[in-house]
Amino acid sequence: MSLKFHWMLPKGGEVALDGQQSPREAARYRIESMQSTSPAVRPDLHGWTHFARHAEEAGIDSVLISFSRYEPDPFLVACALGQAVQKLKFIIAYRSGLMQPTTFVQQMNTVSALVRGRVSFNIVAGSSSEEQRGYGDYLSHDERYARAEEFLAVCNAFWKANGEVNFDGKYYRVEQAKLATPFVAPDKQAPEIFVSGHSEQSEHLASSQGTCWLRVAESPAKLEPIVARTRARGTGVCLRCCLICRPTREEAIAVAQSLLPEDAAESTTTMKDDSQMYREGSELKRDAFWPEPWLWTGLVPHYGPVWTTMIGTPGELASAFLEYKRIGVTEFIISGWPEVDTVDVFGREILPRINQA
Amino acid sequence: MSLRFHWMMPKGGEVGMKTAQETSRVATTQAHSPAALPDMEGWLQFARGAEEAGIESVLLSFSRYEPDTIFVACALGQVTTKLGFIVAYRLGLMQPATFVQQVNTLSGLIGGRVSLNVVAGSSAVEQRGYGDYLDHDERYARAEEFLTVCHEFWAGNGAVSFAGKYCQIDKGKIFTPFLAADRSEPEIYVSGHSEQAQHLALTQASCYLRLIDTPEKLAPIVQGFRENGVEVCLRLCVICRPTMDEALAAVQALLPPEEIEKQERKILSSSDSQTLKDALRAADDVGWMNRNLYAGLVPHYGSSAITLVGTPADLARAFMEYKEIGVTQFIIAGWPKLDEMMIFGREVLPLVRELEGTFHAKTQRRKEEF
Repeated sequence: MSLKFHWMLPKGGEVALDGQQSPREAARYRIESMQSTSPAVRPDLHGWTHFARHAEEAGIDSVLISFSRYEPDPFLVACALGQAVQKLKFIIAYRSGLMQPTTFVQQMNTVSALVRGRVSFNIVAGSSSEEQRGYGDYLSHDERYARAEEFLAVCNAFWKANGEVNFDGKYYRVEQAKLATPFVAPDKQAPEIFVSGHSEQSEHLASSQGTCWLRVAESPAKLEPIVARTRARGTGVCLRCCLICRPTREEAIAVAQSLLPEDAAESTTTMKDDSQMYREGSELKRDAFWPEPWLWTGLVPHYGPVWTTMIGTPGELASAFLEYKRIGVTEFIISGWPEVDTVDVFGREILPRINQA
Repeated sequence: MSLRFHWMMPKGGEVGMKTAQETSRVATTQAHSPAALPDMEGWLQFARGAEEAGIESVLLSFSRYEPDTIFVACALGQVTTKLGFIVAYRLGLMQPATFVQQVNTLSGLIGGRVSLNVVAGSSAVEQRGYGDYLDHDERYARAEEFLTVCHEFWAGNGAVSFAGKYCQIDKGKIFTPFLAADRSEPEIYVSGHSEQAQHLALTQASCYLRLIDTPEKLAPIVQGFRENGVEVCLRLCVICRPTMDEALAAVQALLPPEEIEKQERKILSSSDSQTLKDALRAADDVGWMNRNLYAGLVPHYGSSAITLVGTPADLARAFMEYKEIGVTQFIIAGWPKLDEMMIFGREVLPLVRELEGTFHAKTQRRKEEF
């Protein structure tokens, strides 16, 4: 099976429709997107449609639409963008604890019918307890996973059900539940479910209820046993990473250096106190910033693990993706600075090399 | 202020249906009903008709038998530019912060053309399927808390904290604002006939939505709301024909086979909603509530089928009677919805606007005399 490549949807206002944007400007935009004054709080159909056309052109399968209190609801963004583009698919990030599973399935099924099945989702247990309490969710990290397990069990019951759904759990109880609107897609009866996180609970949840475990890129040597045991359970593995691709390695590294903050103490990760993935990221030692010659974690202590970056020439990066394929990784969700330029380079320079291999 | 006219959005597949019997609500509760799927083609045709007819908004109904209303509004809003969407939603299905985030996002995607019809839930069985086990009265108590939290978010005075019996929230922040040219929060319609519903409308809504009744019956109720700064919107159906005889013949043609009546009656009588019980009683007791208001279709077509029947002039005059007692808005349906809406836009609405012109001039003169 060939590797699947997805991309992060840029934040609202991030796509520069006219004029050039440097990698540093694009990165700063994203760092500052969690401020209430950022245009990222508003939907940006012009910018998103512009990006989506480039992603389609590049051969990207889906875009991941992130969820947080700092940005528009990703369900609705997928629904609106799905009317504007016809091929690109959408991975909707959502947290459990925000709505009843029956409602979630009704929304997911409705969106599937409105975008002709081009939708899957990424369930996140929630990485900040402060943010969760702002949604009325007071559970701890471990309990959130226990609840997510029940949440997805109810959802899966709907997608498998031929009749009504009954469930009596600790966190959810539904009785004689029925939804008339089915999941509508040409090739499946249920959306793919990405479960993200680095904790044991997330690994378990990915295999028990999900179709794919989503985690941050690390060195293939470290990931190999983890990927092997996940694949053995019939679960896919998807890696998140950022990408810097230039004609020479020196140019690529110069771009990476330009992204480091002027203030060495700058950090946006303290807000995600409750995530194992983020705790691991902030404990990274300086000498471990290059786990591979093409894999750089220098931005992770500042901005979090999803800023882990693959760096190199088109040839080096294509080989790196193929190395991940060799150990059993099935999909990637990529990000870059700026997103449009990076997805263009990926589609033009890297993807053809991977497909020829 | 001119009267505002909205229309019920047809169910999925309904725009292509030829007969009223086909479109009765019972059909949507049956397995394999086309109402389970979005119908962008039919809806778009209807939406364009509504814009042409001078209709302000369409009401999208919520139930487990239909697609989710928020997303139908989102998709249809991408292909229309003028029409508003009154999105019906039940409470108890999601956290208020999540609801606000979705509604605000929707507003940003469709140029602010969204308002809400908050429904406490009319079927206990259906609510349990959503994981909601509260009884009728408690559902209203929760709705009160839920809307209080929503209003706090829309007021935009920083982080929202609330410690209620049903809703708890600690320093909630939703960064995406409600985006509209002229408002910072959606209009909220609260519907229902029970005391709790009326109380909720008074405390939390911009408009109380209820079934039509005779102007005499409604006058004191409407006055109570208007004195408290809450508008009143009536739900009704219309049958408009060039002559009363033709209108009456159209009513006769709507009477369906006995089997459908039995099913509809079962739905109405088993509900714990005061609205539905009242509607059935009106149908059984009176039939014709006045010269133009007919309740006899309720057992066949559901509680919202109380119908204004008559010529364009009859209907225009009837709408003006409601205006005189303080009603400001209407949500209308007909059989079929599209045809009846086009008749309304062509024949009735111009007469209403004409009568309103005279009415406004008269009230202006009266004001000047005093």
